Amino acid sequence: MEFKYKKLANGLDIIAEVNKDAQSAAAGFFVKTGSRDETQQISGVSHFLEHMLFKGTDHLSTHDVNRRFDELGAIYNAQTGEENTIYYSATLPAQLYEAAKLWCQLMRPALRDDDFNMEKNVILEEIAMYKDIPDFDVIDKCRRLHFSPHPCGNSVLGNNESIGQMSAEQMREYFNRRYAPNNITVAAAGNFDFEKICDFLQAGCADWLPKQADRKTEYFAGTAKKGQEKKKNLTCRHICLASPTVSYQDERAYAAILLAKIIGDETGSRFFWRLVDTAIAETATMHCEAMDGVGAFFSYIRTAEENGSKVLQIVEDIFKSLYKEKISDDELRKAKNKVLSAITIKNEIPMGRLIEIGFNWLYLKEYRPIEDEIQRIKKVTLDDLTALMQEFPLTPFTQFSLGPEN
Amino acid sequence: MRSAQKSNARAFKLPVMTEKIDIYKLANGMTILGIPMSQVQSASFDFLLPAGAAVMPDNCCGASAVISDWIFRGAGGKTSKELTDRLDGLGLHRKSGVESKHIALSAALEAENLHQVIELYADIILKPALDSQQFEYSRQLALHSLASLEDDPMQKTLLMLAEHFYPDPLGRNPLGKQDDLQKLTAEKCIQIISENFNIGGTVLAIAGKYDFQKLCPLLEKLFAGKKPEKAKDINVKKQSPAYHHQQHDGAQVHIGIITPTVTPQSADYYNARVAVAVLSGGMSSRLFTEVREKRGLCYAIWASYHSLKEMAGIRCYAGTTPDKAQETYNVIITEFKRLAEGIGEDELKRAKIGLQSSLIMQSESTIARAQAAATDYYILGKVRGLDEIKQQIEKTTVKSVLDFLRKNPFDKSCSVTIGPAEIKTVST
Repeated sequence: MEFKYKKLANGLDIIAEVNKDAQSAAAGFFVKTGSRDETQQISGVSHFLEHMLFKGTDHLSTHDVNRRFDELGAIYNAQTGEENTIYYSATLPAQLYEAAKLWCQLMRPALRDDDFNMEKNVILEEIAMYKDIPDFDVIDKCRRLHFSPHPCGNSVLGNNESIGQMSAEQMREYFNRRYAPNNITVAAAGNFDFEKICDFLQAGCADWLPKQADRKTEYFAGTAKKGQEKKKNLTCRHICLASPTVSYQDERAYAAILLAKIIGDETGSRFFWRLVDTAIAETATMHCEAMDGVGAFFSYIRTAEENGSKVLQIVEDIFKSLYKEKISDDELRKAKNKVLSAITIKNEIPMGRLIEIGFNWLYLKEYRPIEDEIQRIKKVTLDDLTALMQEFPLTPFTQFSLGPEN
Repeated sequence: MRSAQKSNARAFKLPVMTEKIDIYKLANGMTILGIPMSQVQSASFDFLLPAGAAVMPDNCCGASAVISDWIFRGAGGKTSKELTDRLDGLGLHRKSGVESKHIALSAALEAENLHQVIELYADIILKPALDSQQFEYSRQLALHSLASLEDDPMQKTLLMLAEHFYPDPLGRNPLGKQDDLQKLTAEKCIQIISENFNIGGTVLAIAGKYDFQKLCPLLEKLFAGKKPEKAKDINVKKQSPAYHHQQHDGAQVHIGIITPTVTPQSADYYNARVAVAVLSGGMSSRLFTEVREKRGLCYAIWASYHSLKEMAGIRCYAGTTPDKAQETYNVIITEFKRLAEGIGEDELKRAKIGLQSSLIMQSESTIARAQAAATDYYILGKVRGLDEIKQQIEKTTVKSVLDFLRKNPFDKSCSVTIGPAEIKTVST
């Protein structure tokens, strides 16, 4: 695999990892903007804008866009989070250049009023859909409780009011501010010719004007507040917990990933043995979200309504026990093996690699070869985990739960 | 611009996928399939054990789900903790699932650990500890999963659709029934395991990096001594297509529709797949365009081909707020019916490219390859090569797809809604 890099005069970064053995090629536009870059008035605009990019340009209708991607046989999509909006496609190698050309066009969208008003219905349906997915809903609400008033607590989807009242003009203003070339990274991974894709990107993006698109990053440890909501359509109790950890930029993020595995992997973790193996909870997992200048551990537990309090007691006990009964060498070794094999499997596919190199560039402005990631995981010691837990205590934690009304 | 698009489509060249498929039958009849992938460092496997939801005795619905958890709770003289520690220590990413006819045990791992993991799986399948206290945990977890389904109306819609569409017991909910799970005993499950873990009827598919010459003797040794048994016959009861609604005070009405179509054994199979791709392949396909892009009725709207060995359907899902549910349903039905009226050459071309392109991209994943090989072998008695599939898709024409659609008109469907409002369905 070979890393390639080029910066266009307007600040647009192009990064690529070429693998001539791959069957496919993936390309993506990584825009450093998300709900944390919004005000409450335009809550949900980043995500709504992501939908609107597929509505076409001054020269392409919505159907033209969909048809062209389908003609390329592309698997394509986009996603918006608190910090980034990413657009990506995987195609056969020969189709990569046309896919990249199409993405370049879409990055300068028409944002027509008619399309905006029609897509607003789709966004409101998406908000409704997620209300019927309690595991998503509870994590969303816990995140808000944990971070608020820090902007990482902003909702990605927004709400019926903010979306209902949003105007196309507000979206155009946000777009002009945030989709500046110096706030975007183009990444490609798989089997392709780097010079050729650069030619396409040069032709498609060189006339974009640079702008200041800054973001304030302040560390925030979380509120440790407690909240709950009862809903008449629910049967189970859904619990989300959040506690602080390191940011993406912190080298200790690898220790944090391993600690989350040890505590809350789907199998063989401390949560697993105390909660799932004993059938007290159906699911109990923890993951680490290392973000831009900030970070949090999130745990999600689904259990029977009557087990809610018992689960919380056990979780507190697990967190406290980590300070008394030290993590063993064997626990760390298993966590490392799980993470390492996941890296191997994920990186065998260009799309998996694209996401990895794209995010590393967004957060670190750095290319990390797979071997480098592997060494960083292997290097983590038990002392690193202990030091991390001392500096970022697992208790007290923010807690939000959703359960049935009766 | 339009001509440029056409030239893109014409220039679309698919790579030639020459590939080798390894097949070996153990002395006891168990089938081993191998898909070598030289460019990877991982391997994935998929065991299909003939003990799925449909083969469970009446009044034992959900036993497969319990068993698929229970067998991992200690095996081959190892306790549950020792076994899990070994599997975790090998960095395994594993999954157990219940299908209509099978319990599927699959895993992805670094190739160097394959033989050690296969040895552990042989213990899990042949020598599970089946401890009675552990059984109780597995049974409670199965009850939890069934209860969680009530909080997942989208998934429940799809499971209810299968239950009402496929003749019973083929479409049984793999999670089981509450009454049956409450009464289920360890003794009954031990009996079910001894009657249904038929090693001769088991398929093991492996994809990725492996050495078939070393693997087969190892499997022969591990699974020796088990005799093949005759596959069980299942008596199916006829289902009549109907509409079923479950009241749920959520935000959306979850709509599921399924209509019968041909199975993968049929000469028309690829025509059916292309027809579904015209209806709901990429984002330029008909359902996405008519329901979402033009009318803004839904966020989630899709149709897909869904098949058992005995019967298949074209299945559609949409989620929408109550005041839009009827219109959403009506537009979907119109689009299903309109398909047989005509298909454009450009639509056909996009459908074919989409199917062929995703086929090649899936071929990069060891997990996808192992699962596809196991399913192919179970349904067709052989593994289709990528080239064969690619050519069969290529052979379809507007005429062949329309002939198929006219022979199989949309005149029967089964519908399910879960949500705050019911809909009026077309008479079927």
